Amino acid sequence: MNIHEYQAKRVLQEYGIKIPKGKIAYTPNEAKKAAAEVSPKGPWMVKAQIQSGARNKGYFIEKDAGSEGGVRLVKSRRNIASQAEEMLGSTLVTIQTGPTGKKVSRVYVEAFIEVERYFYIALAINRVKAELTLLVAVVKDHDILKLALSRPEDILRISLDIGKGVDKETVAKVIKFLKLKPRSAKYLTKMINSLHQVFMEKDASMIEINPVGVMKNGELVALDAKISFDDNALFRHQDLAKLKDDCEVSERELQAAKYRFTYSEFEGSVGCIVNGDGLALAAMDLLREKGIGTACFINVKGGVDKDKIASGIKIIMTNPRVEGILLNILGGFLRCDLIADGIVSAASEVGLNVPMVVRFEGTNKDKAKDILYNSRLPVIWADSMEDSIEKLAQALEEAA
Amino acid sequence: MSVFVNKETKVICQGITGTQASFHIQKSLNYGTQVVGGVTPGKGGTMHLNLPVFDTVKEAVKETGATASVMYVPAKYVKSAVQEAVEAGLELAVTIADGVPLKDMLEIKSMLKGSNTKLIGPNTPGIITPGEARLGIFPEDIHNQGSIGVVSRSSTLTYEAVLETKRAGGGQSTVIGLGDDVLIGMDFIDVLKAFHDDDATKSIVMIGQLGGAFEEAAAEWYKKLPNKKPVVAFVAGNAIPFGHKMGYAGDITTNGYISVQDKKDALSDAGIKVVNHINDIHLALEDLQ
Repeated sequence: MNIHEYQAKRVLQEYGIKIPKGKIAYTPNEAKKAAAEVSPKGPWMVKAQIQSGARNKGYFIEKDAGSEGGVRLVKSRRNIASQAEEMLGSTLVTIQTGPTGKKVSRVYVEAFIEVERYFYIALAINRVKAELTLLVAVVKDHDILKLALSRPEDILRISLDIGKGVDKETVAKVIKFLKLKPRSAKYLTKMINSLHQVFMEKDASMIEINPVGVMKNGELVALDAKISFDDNALFRHQDLAKLKDDCEVSERELQAAKYRFTYSEFEGSVGCIVNGDGLALAAMDLLREKGIGTACFINVKGGVDKDKIASGIKIIMTNPRVEGILLNILGGFLRCDLIADGIVSAASEVGLNVPMVVRFEGTNKDKAKDILYNSRLPVIWADSMEDSIEKLAQALEEAA
Repeated sequence: MSVFVNKETKVICQGITGTQASFHIQKSLNYGTQVVGGVTPGKGGTMHLNLPVFDTVKEAVKETGATASVMYVPAKYVKSAVQEAVEAGLELAVTIADGVPLKDMLEIKSMLKGSNTKLIGPNTPGIITPGEARLGIFPEDIHNQGSIGVVSRSSTLTYEAVLETKRAGGGQSTVIGLGDDVLIGMDFIDVLKAFHDDDATKSIVMIGQLGGAFEEAAAEWYKKLPNKKPVVAFVAGNAIPFGHKMGYAGDITTNGYISVQDKKDALSDAGIKVVNHINDIHLALEDLQ
C-alpha cells in the first residue's frame, strides 16, 4: 500500500526526520491560508498530491491547469490560490501514471527551504540476500529509475542489520560516497536510524526520500517522501490501513483485492484466469508470440469458496477490453470443481459473450469438466498450456 | 535416493487440526508419507487423523523423532511456527501459506542463519519425492518416480514442469517449489547443490520468473561448478512491460533492472539449456538422452 507524500512526511517527522513545514489543502482558499500558516513570507512549494513519482516533470491534461508540472514554486502569496486552483480537480500525467493520469484532489503547501545540494536515500529489501538495504546516490534531476537503469553502479548499497541501528563505519562510507561535509554526519546517522525504525516498526516494504536537501549548516531535510507499506502486515497497523486512498486504485483492482486475488491490467485483449502468477506470466509470453496482447489477469489462488471465485471471474468477464478468456487452472490446494462452479455462477449473472478456453489439471479435474459440460456453456476445451493458446488464437480469429 | 525427503523421513505437521491441513495430511498419509504426529497449541494429548497431537514442536520431536515439519498455519503465525521448528532442531520446515509479512521473513531468515533448519517457502506447493513422501499441497497423481530434479519459483509452473518431464518419458527424483513470496527460504542454489549431491538425480529442470535476482545468483554458482549435471531452464514473464507494477517495487533500485532476457542470458552463459516456451522443456530433456 502506498500513501501520499504529505502522509509519508508526517510519519517520518514522528520519527525525528526534519521536513519543511507544510499543510494540506483541498481548496484554493485553504491553500492560501495554509501558506500563511507555514511561513510568513515566500517562496512556497505547492505540490499536487497523487501517488506517483516524477510529479515535477509531469503535465496536466486540462489546458487551464497551466503548462507547469505538479510541483510548483510560488514566490508571492497572491499566486498561491490561483496555482492551487489550476491543479485541484485537474488530471496530472507522469511517467508513472500512464497516459490517463490521476486526478488531483488535494495540494500540499510547504515552506520553501534553501538547500546547498541534494541526494537520494532509501531503504529497500535485497531479495536474494534477504537483507535490509540502504541505498544512496547523487541523482541528476532526482530521476532514480533512470540512474538505476543506466548506471546502477552509481548507487551505493549497504546491508543493514535489522536488529540494530547504523554503525559509524557505514555513516562514514556514505559521507565519503556523497562527499558530504563532516558536520552532516550526526544528521545522517539520525536519518538512517529513523528510516530503519520506521521500516521495522511500521512494516514498510520500501521508503524513499528523493531528494534529501543538505542545508548550509549541514542539517538534512526530507524534501519529498514515499513510503510503501507491506500489505501483508497491515493487520497489525490499523492506523495505517486508514490512510489507504481508494481513488488511487482502479475499481477492478479494488474488487479483486477484496477477495485477496491478484489482479493486473495491460493493454491487450485477452483476459486470463489462473491460479498462480507464474502461470499467468507463462501464458502471456505464449500469447505475445502469437501477436495477442493480454488485457488483464486474475490469480484466484487461495480461493476457497465458489462465490468468491465467481466474483473474481466476473471481474474478467465484465472487463470491456476482454475479447477472449483463457482459463488455466492447475489444481493443488485449489480444487478445479470449485472453479467450474464459479464459472457457471459468474456466467449466469453476467453472461459469457466471448470465446473462453478452459484447461483443468490436478485436483478434481474430472468433476470440474462434468460441471461445465452439464452447464452447456460454450467453452472450448484444451488439454495443455500450448493447446489452450492455440485454440484461443483460433477462436479469436474466427470471432473477428 | 532423493533430496531432503524420502520414505524414511519422519514428518510432523504444525497446525494439523485445521481444515486444509487435515485434508492434505490425509492425502500425504495415503501417499505413504511418514507423518508421525502434529502440533496444535492447546490440543496436546488428543488424537487427530489417528496421529498424536502435541502442544509444542519440541515435545513432538522428542516423542516421535521427526526431522521435518510441514506447516499449514496462517501467514501471521508463520514466524513463531518457524521459530519453534528451528529451536527444536528440525532439519526441514515447509511453509505453505502465502503473504508472510516481509519483516517476519527478514527475522526468519536471520534466525535460519547458523541453524540446523532449512526452510522451503512460504507460498510454495511444498516438496514431493514421488512414491515416497509428499509435504505440501501437490496434486499427487501427476508425479512419477524418475531421475529429473525439478525446482521452481512459481507454484503452478512446478506442475507444468512435472508434466513436461513425463512428456519426455521421464520422472522426477524430487520436486521443490521455492515459493512465490518476495522473500523465501531456500533458493535455487540450495536446491541445485542438493540435486548435484544426489546420485538419483541425473538432470534438473529449473523454472524462474521475472523479479529478484535469484536466477543470476544461480547462474553464477553453476558456472563455477566443476562437475555439472545438465540443467534445463525456463523463465516466465517476458510479456510484462517494463515499469508495470507487479512484484516487489524495490527490485530495480536494489539490483538494477533485470529483464527476463537478462536472466535467460545469464543462465545460458553458465551452460544451462534455456528454452523459450514452457512446453519445450520436454524437447530439451529428450535431447539430453
